[in-house]
Amino acid sequence: MRANSNIQQRFGFSIRTKLALVTILLLAIPWTAYVYVRDMKTFLLAGQENALTLTVRAIATVLHDRPELFLSDEEEVLTAEPGDIYAHPLPSYINLDGGLEDWGEQILSSTTFAMNLEGELAENLLVRHTVGYRGAYVFAFFDVEDDFYVGRNLEWLRLDTSDQLRITLQSPAVGENRYLFTAEEPGRMSVYLMDLAWEYPLSGDPNYDMAANIQSSNNGYRIELRIPRYLLSSDARIKMEIVDVDDSLGRSVQDIVPFNPETASDSLSRVVVSSPEITRILRSLDRPDSRIWVLDEGGNIRTVLGELGQLDDDIQSNTTFGYFSQLEQAYNRLIAYVFALIEEPTVDSVAAGEADDPLNQEIIEQALEGTPGTLRVTGESDSERVIVMAAHPIWLADSVIGAVVVEQSDDEVLYQQQAVLEKVIGATLLILIGVIAAILIFASRLTLRITRLRNATDGAIDRDGRIIQTAVAAEARAGDEIGDLSRSVNDMLGRLSQYTNYLEGLPDTLAHEVSNPLNVVNSSLDNLSKEHPLSADSKYMTRAQSGLQRIRSILKNLTEAANLEQAMQLDKREVFDFPKMIEDYVDGCRHTHPEREFRFSIFKQPLYINGHPDHIAQMLDKLIDNALDFAVAGTPIRLSARELQGHAILDIANQGKVLPEGMAERIFEPLVSLGRSDAKKTRLGMGLYIVKLIARFHQGDVSARNNVLGDGVTFRISFPVTTIESVKRKISEAA
Amino acid sequence: MAQLVAIVEDDLDQRENYADALVANGYEVLAYANRSSALAGMKSNLPDLAILDIMLENEMDGGFDLCRDLRAFAPRLPIIFLTARDSDIDRVSGLRLDAWDYLTKPLSMEFLTVRVNSLFRIVNSLNEPEEIANQHRLERGDLIIDPNSMSISWQGQPISLTLTEFWIVEALAHRPGIVKTYDNIMQVTRQTYVEKNTINGYVRRVRKKFIEADRDFKHIETVFGVGYRWLK
Repeated sequence: MRANSNIQQRFGFSIRTKLALVTILLLAIPWTAYVYVRDMKTFLLAGQENALTLTVRAIATVLHDRPELFLSDEEEVLTAEPGDIYAHPLPSYINLDGGLEDWGEQILSSTTFAMNLEGELAENLLVRHTVGYRGAYVFAFFDVEDDFYVGRNLEWLRLDTSDQLRITLQSPAVGENRYLFTAEEPGRMSVYLMDLAWEYPLSGDPNYDMAANIQSSNNGYRIELRIPRYLLSSDARIKMEIVDVDDSLGRSVQDIVPFNPETASDSLSRVVVSSPEITRILRSLDRPDSRIWVLDEGGNIRTVLGELGQLDDDIQSNTTFGYFSQLEQAYNRLIAYVFALIEEPTVDSVAAGEADDPLNQEIIEQALEGTPGTLRVTGESDSERVIVMAAHPIWLADSVIGAVVVEQSDDEVLYQQQAVLEKVIGATLLILIGVIAAILIFASRLTLRITRLRNATDGAIDRDGRIIQTAVAAEARAGDEIGDLSRSVNDMLGRLSQYTNYLEGLPDTLAHEVSNPLNVVNSSLDNLSKEHPLSADSKYMTRAQSGLQRIRSILKNLTEAANLEQAMQLDKREVFDFPKMIEDYVDGCRHTHPEREFRFSIFKQPLYINGHPDHIAQMLDKLIDNALDFAVAGTPIRLSARELQGHAILDIANQGKVLPEGMAERIFEPLVSLGRSDAKKTRLGMGLYIVKLIARFHQGDVSARNNVLGDGVTFRISFPVTTIESVKRKISEAA
Repeated sequence: MAQLVAIVEDDLDQRENYADALVANGYEVLAYANRSSALAGMKSNLPDLAILDIMLENEMDGGFDLCRDLRAFAPRLPIIFLTARDSDIDRVSGLRLDAWDYLTKPLSMEFLTVRVNSLFRIVNSLNEPEEIANQHRLERGDLIIDPNSMSISWQGQPISLTLTEFWIVEALAHRPGIVKTYDNIMQVTRQTYVEKNTINGYVRRVRKKFIEADRDFKHIETVFGVGYRWLK
């Protein structure tokens, strides 16, 4: 029987858990890396600011003391015919979709027109209009308030029968061209080159020089127009008119609103594109992902150059499939999550301007006052995106004639940071997984080895503390501390077993040594009574003999256990019916102890066991002696035989003193006695030890417990039942 | 002429006591303290019976060795082991050396002399003519007991028993079917104090010897807790 039941429940954590907890400390590595990466970002942004400051200063230096760049327009404007159309730079290209969002601040500078050709207020018609430019295009915007929108009727060949936009372009090289913009319904407008009377197109094919889009609005419609710059060279002239038709049946022209309020004539205007000179200078300074603004003294935008790049979103754009890419996506999601988790805003909490126009008024004012400055702002639409701005005044002698603002997004910095962070996270994850796996494997191995050693150690000593194995094989050859432990356990077991052998042999040796002098006394007394017949009758002789008798009994008791084991090994076992044997035995008891009552009940018969009936009887002798010793006079000794879980069970119960607490196990140890009822009876505490030896020799067990009623003690012996098959086999072998 | 008994015992007191007791019963006694003197003495003056201790001075198995030596030149010499060693292994080895009995200390002097007497009686009866020997024969079916030669045979085969074993079988077979209690048997063994367990041991060995002669031998029945009986 294994001694595992004796192992105390371990409290506290296992080595594995402890090491796993220690590995948590490794998380400091990615944290440190994160701190470094963040510092790096700050550092990079600072570097970017510096670079930007240098750039802006360089640009400003180019523009220093060159008032003509700023004045030339003014002059041009002054020298122009009245009615010049002034095109402002636009913050971005315009989508021809009827939306106002991409016009930025420019929409604010739109003018409202309501006069018709006759100089009178047009009926039910109001047009808000502005012109801007961006790159190679000039854009125009018309917001028309019209009570009835009349679209083109495709069945009509005459085109002056719907709401329309008319543009007349005149240049010395090309001559005069009339363009008519019309649409059946909101959307892209058709463009036709028209005859002088604006009645019929010159050809049936639309013209694609210009593009326009019409969208209906709350109280009318909106037109966005795009004209390539080459059509508007400096000597070109333009005239734009909105033609209103309200009667969808008659379709006569109600009103024509020209955008030339000063003249109110059919003369043409010049489109003045602002500061081409500055633009030309700046073009050589154009940097990717940056935008350069030049403002004049009054804060008016003279020119804008460049685009702010868009943040590459290659993470989401990953559309490949398969296991590996799923893994990659998961990894990317993790990275994105880590970013979201650890990223803190690294910009001042300055409110940004409009989404596509983060130009901040504050630093411009500062610059116009003569103080260069830098600023970081977050874009509203994209919180990850930070715009770095630098502004510098442009000097003319001691006075400020304008300012240069350079904007740059931190995409590059972000990109670098993300790349580094990805690498760091990847590397750290690998290291962490590796280290944790290694530690877990190590811990598991260690635990396994220790467990193996523990089990071996447990197995070396049985439940009763007897040494079964004198050496523990587990880990004995390991070179480390566990090996040391194993070896010292071996050493300990060796010494312990020597000592145990000595102790086990002690009663035998003692008995042997005592029996010689005892024999001297015995034989001397015999001879004495022969020589002096009188002394033979002396009461002292009787007492001496009885004393000798007791010493003999003690010696027999001492040697019985040792001899028993030898005897049992020599004897042959037999299969017999356990309850029948007990019944015979109890009959014998009734014969030898006629004064006592024995009650025996059999719950199951036959129950075959394989063993030595003599030794089992010897065992019963001890148990019955014990029961008789402790039973209250006049009470019966109760025995019962039954089968329980493949074991033949015999209970022997007596009424009387109960076992003191903790004695139930100990009474089966050698030399443990519960005291004596008769001073002349030797009680060496070997009896129950012998019971146990015999039980164990038969692969059985013995236990003692107090009766349920608390009025006595019940001993229970159990032996494994031998199956009918093996009995039959035995019988057939014998036959 | 008085019969000569040799005693080999290293303990002076015990040796003297044995000698005194046997001399008082009319035997001539030669006492030796160790194996070499005993061997030399008995070679020159062969005794009629030898009583040997097993541990002799510092020889653990001196008595066994001596017994072997004696058997070499006196194969029919009755030998009794008288020892403090009480293990089954010792008993078996002692009897394998063809000892007539194996007794454990302490032993009363009275019983020692009884044994010596009995053994001499056996020796004498072996020399007697057969008719006289058969006179007191006890027959119980296949069992024939000759009380004079203290020999037993089963189904005509002689069973070699020690003196104590003979007494036990004789007692059991004397009144077949009647239980001999442990107390009865203890008396029969003529030893001072015998444990139940020791008696069980004797009976086990007796059964074994019968079974060697007859595989189906089942005539000695255990009455658990009480004793044994001979079945008819």
